Amino acid sequence: MLEILEYDFMQRAFVAGFLIATLASISGTFIVLKRYSLLSETLAHSALVGVAVGLVAGYNPLWVAVIVALFFSWLIEYLRSSFSLYSDAILSIILSGSLALAVIVVSLGGAFNNSLFSYLFGSILSVSSEDLVTITAFGSLALGVLLIFSKELFFICYDEEVAKVSGIKVKFLNFLLVTVVAIIIALSIRIVGSLLIGALMVIPTVAALQFRVGFKNTMFISLLFALFSVLFGMITSYYYSLPSGATIVLSVITLFIFSLIINKK
Amino acid sequence: MNFKIPIFDVKNLSFALRENTILSNISLEIFHGEYIAIIGPNGGGKTTLIRMLLGLEKPTSGELKLFGKRISKFKEWHKIGFVPQRASLVDENFPATVQDIVKMGRIAKYGIFAGFSKKDTQVVEDAMRKMDILHLKGKMVGTLSGGQRQRTMIARALASSPEVLILDEPNTGVDMISQRRFYKLLSKLNKEEKITIIFITHDIGVIADDITRLFTINQKATICNNPKETLSCEDMSILYGIDAHLISNHKHNCSGENGC
Ligand SMILES: Nc1ncnc2c1ncn2[C@@H]1O[C@H](COP(=O)(O)OP(=O)(O)OP(=O)(O)O)[C@@H](O)[C@H]1O
Ligand SMILES: [Mg+2]
Repeated sequence: MLEILEYDFMQRAFVAGFLIATLASISGTFIVLKRYSLLSETLAHSALVGVAVGLVAGYNPLWVAVIVALFFSWLIEYLRSSFSLYSDAILSIILSGSLALAVIVVSLGGAFNNSLFSYLFGSILSVSSEDLVTITAFGSLALGVLLIFSKELFFICYDEEVAKVSGIKVKFLNFLLVTVVAIIIALSIRIVGSLLIGALMVIPTVAALQFRVGFKNTMFISLLFALFSVLFGMITSYYYSLPSGATIVLSVITLFIFSLIINKK
Repeated sequence: MNFKIPIFDVKNLSFALRENTILSNISLEIFHGEYIAIIGPNGGGKTTLIRMLLGLEKPTSGELKLFGKRISKFKEWHKIGFVPQRASLVDENFPATVQDIVKMGRIAKYGIFAGFSKKDTQVVEDAMRKMDILHLKGKMVGTLSGGQRQRTMIARALASSPEVLILDEPNTGVDMISQRRFYKLLSKLNKEEKITIIFITHDIGVIADDITRLFTINQKATICNNPKETLSCEDMSILYGIDAHLISNHKHNCSGENGC
């Protein structure tokens, strides 16, 4: 069992994976409670545009993905707060728009290959030392922001207007949250893949909500579920040579079903 | 505390939404220690007025000062506790205990980096005790009854130690006995803790003895300075139109739903 830790690439994958599980589940709690689940899916597709550009132009895809995801997250937040459009409609438009854009960039650049596949579905083999540095640096920053503002964000999830009237800087914090989510998603693409990261953000929280416990405990259960799914998913991925994103997502869905059953009234 | 400066100073405030006038030329002042009741027909603009007072809606024209400061410069929002109209309709699945919710009342006060101090804990407990929900503190809000939720929302507002409490018809779905208890409590907060209260309600007959002034809002505002004679207040039936006799029913402490 421990032999899997002997490989450098697995050590890197585990460190990156645990950090991503932590970030995805904590930010996911806020996103789900704000009824903004589709945001993660949309930004994952936006990040894919960055990956496509990176692959075709020969830049580090992870970096370009972070930048493009940030750009789209701000665009979404701007559209949502400035126009009276339905936010889920905005998200759908941007989701399909970015996917279309990514496909065109990839086709024109002739980058349809294995490495694209790993960005879509995740791969434990792909985390380079350089990636690990990027993931750790940005990831710690994102985690810090989430923890510092968790009380305020929780209040906003509960009731945005009442939070505003209580003097909470709602606009700024909403902006900060989408920014952090954009970064987390771009970082997660390596391990979970852009088509599957949405699941790792949303499902652990939805599973944790079934336990009907207070806010802190919900977040804690969601974190445990995410960590366990990533661990189990990566080990399975290693032994059966499967894309890690797929094994992680199936693990988290299993936990979700388990939560549904044991909490059934 | 300066008692001369009105908490809310509203001059010629108007609000229109796409051609439709919703409020026109409202002028009023609310002073420290008052207990104001606001009544008016559905759609009369009560909620809109409150939302403007709280900066959630921008007036089309007019001037608005809070604690003597123009609203754009006003920062001390923790002085105002607000319980919105839909307060008791919380999302059943929201993962918060009663205590989680009441603690929110302290957040703006204790700042970003400060932790939750002993004093904060004390204030939160006090607020729950006042609202008689201390025994429910570990319960999930989704499992509470309408009245218990209402009291939780008010405890949250109280936890910020506000100088003003604004309540927008928080009674929806609350039984008569709990309502009575709630009115007593409001009156106590006003008299003993000197909290200014602004209360939108349809139950004017029941609280007529407690309030200092009554505002009726139906696009325009009419201010009755002697609420005990509210029910004979002349403008009332004009403002209320068809709803006027509904109000006189309440005078006999008798609510329509209970069939008396
Ligand atoms: N966001 C909005 N968009 C469109 N119309 C609005 C909006 N907010 C308020 N209105 C309109 O403004 C008018 C006043 O509404 P408001 O909610 O202030 O009334 P109210 O006195 O609080 O009524 P109720 O007793 O039913 O709560 C209504 O005609 C309503 O349709
Ligand atoms: Mg209203």
